[in-house]
Amino acid sequence: MALPFSGRKDGLSLSEALPDRSLFILVAMMSFLAALTLTGATGARALSARWSGGAAQLLTIQVTAPDHVPDGAGSTKNATQKTRADLVVDALAALPPGTQVHRLNKEELAHLLAPWLGDANNSALPLPAVIEVRLPAGTDSPPTLEQTLNAQVPGTVVEHNAEWSSRLRALADSLLACAALALAAVGGIAALITALATRSGLSSRRDIIRILHGLGATDSYIAGRFASRTGALAFGGGLLGTVLAMAPLALLFRMAAPFAATSLQTATAAMPSWDTLPRLLPTDLLIGLAGLPVVAAFIGWFTTQVMVRLWLRGMP
Amino acid sequence: MIRLKNVFWQRARKQEKPVLSDLSFSVPQGGFRWLLGPSGAGKTSLLNLLHIESLPARGDLEILGKPVSADTPRATLVRLRQRIGMVHQNYRLMPGLSVVDNVALPLRLQHRPEDEIHDEVHAILKWVGLGERIGVPAANLSGGEQQRTAIARAIVHRPGLILADEPTNALEEPQAHKLLDLFDELSTMGTTVLVATHNEALIRRLPRPSLYLERGRLVREGE
Ligand SMILES: Nc1ncnc2c1ncn2[C@@H]1O[C@H](COP(=O)(O)OP(=O)(O)O)[C@@H](O)[C@H]1O
Ligand SMILES: [Mg+2]
Repeated sequence: MALPFSGRKDGLSLSEALPDRSLFILVAMMSFLAALTLTGATGARALSARWSGGAAQLLTIQVTAPDHVPDGAGSTKNATQKTRADLVVDALAALPPGTQVHRLNKEELAHLLAPWLGDANNSALPLPAVIEVRLPAGTDSPPTLEQTLNAQVPGTVVEHNAEWSSRLRALADSLLACAALALAAVGGIAALITALATRSGLSSRRDIIRILHGLGATDSYIAGRFASRTGALAFGGGLLGTVLAMAPLALLFRMAAPFAATSLQTATAAMPSWDTLPRLLPTDLLIGLAGLPVVAAFIGWFTTQVMVRLWLRGMP
Repeated sequence: MIRLKNVFWQRARKQEKPVLSDLSFSVPQGGFRWLLGPSGAGKTSLLNLLHIESLPARGDLEILGKPVSADTPRATLVRLRQRIGMVHQNYRLMPGLSVVDNVALPLRLQHRPEDEIHDEVHAILKWVGLGERIGVPAANLSGGEQQRTAIARAIVHRPGLILADEPTNALEEPQAHKLLDLFDELSTMGTTVLVATHNEALIRRLPRPSLYLERGRLVREGE
């Protein structure tokens, strides 16, 4: 007859002695929450950076009657006659080097105005030229830009974005503060709950600790066995929670993608397809998410080490 | 060998009345002693103290020839405990572990090779009559089976000191006699043995020197 005998290396079969589903489930829930908060905070940070950085650097210039060729435009010698829009674009060359100047073409303009004008291509309305100017980081447009342009091409409107950029920056800052606060709160609570779940799971094992101690097990052996067991449980819970959080997280990022476009030209109303999504998630977010189960495992392991050793200190 | 000199012990530090008062006695290596006394006399407390589950409040204690006090290094106490086999009144088995794994614990904690553990454990379980129950979790055993598992665990690693707290009260008479005869044989081979009991018939059958406790004091010592 084959005799049942567990020749385990760990010698204690603590996995059977310590079935602890509640720790696993609690850690999974906490990791789920932490993953979502981490994502929210990352999103908030990206959005806030775009708002406060991007808006200040962006000028929008409108030129009415763009295709009109001014009379005394000093182009008597030139064979090519410059339109009002061309003149404005020429004048913008005086801006700091590195400035991007882009005149929206007909399709882009139609796309931009579609929500207000419907099919702008067939519209009889006289459309102005819209010129996007993106200044390099750290530079500002000269305050006299509008005057200078108006002197050459009267009726040119420069939208500085300055006013709503400062509002946006304030909004971005408060968004960032909220995200940081939420992250700190959820992180702290998750760590605390994990530690408490570990503790309550362990308190029902106190008699086992006492038995092992009585049989002549060393402190580091007992603490190590229990800690690696709870560490593994917490890692599993953390992994499950993080993986479960990926679904709502991917959904959120897909919805947010249109707002993350870098300029008016690349902005599309459409959401990106699912298969391009992994590239949309920021690398630091992915690293943070991958770290969650490790952090959960460490909290479980550390709490167990501390608690078991404290209990053992009460015995000679 | 164990030696006590004016040993006092109390449960909590603030408690006024000590559970064990002014105990002085010694048992030589290979000695067998019955530990007697009415319920509440302190037999369990004394055995637990000798198992180094706590330290004396006062007095000198020596176990297996080594002084045991608050100054004794933890590692020394751990090694001492590994050389003691204790049968607790309430068995103290690991409920989730099977009979074999429970009995194998003292050997595994000493990092013995698994094949050696296998042989030792099976031999002893057969001897205590649990050869057919080895895979059963301790939680599913009857009282008598738990007691026999606890006895097997206490002797499997050939300890130098056996402490048994009413080790046969859940057993049939023949089983009880068989086990006490084993304890007696082990003592003639050099193991020091202390057995706490209420059972007068057992003592009459195996007359050995006794320690008689009453209200925490040693009131009689001898045959
Ligand atoms: N868990 C406990 N808490 C407080 N007092 C206890 C406890 N167990 C035993 N006692 C008391 O300690 C004394 C010694 O008990 P014990 O050592 O169990 O005696 P015995 O084993 O001889 O019956 C008794 O007065 C008993 O009432
Ligand atoms: Mg008792």
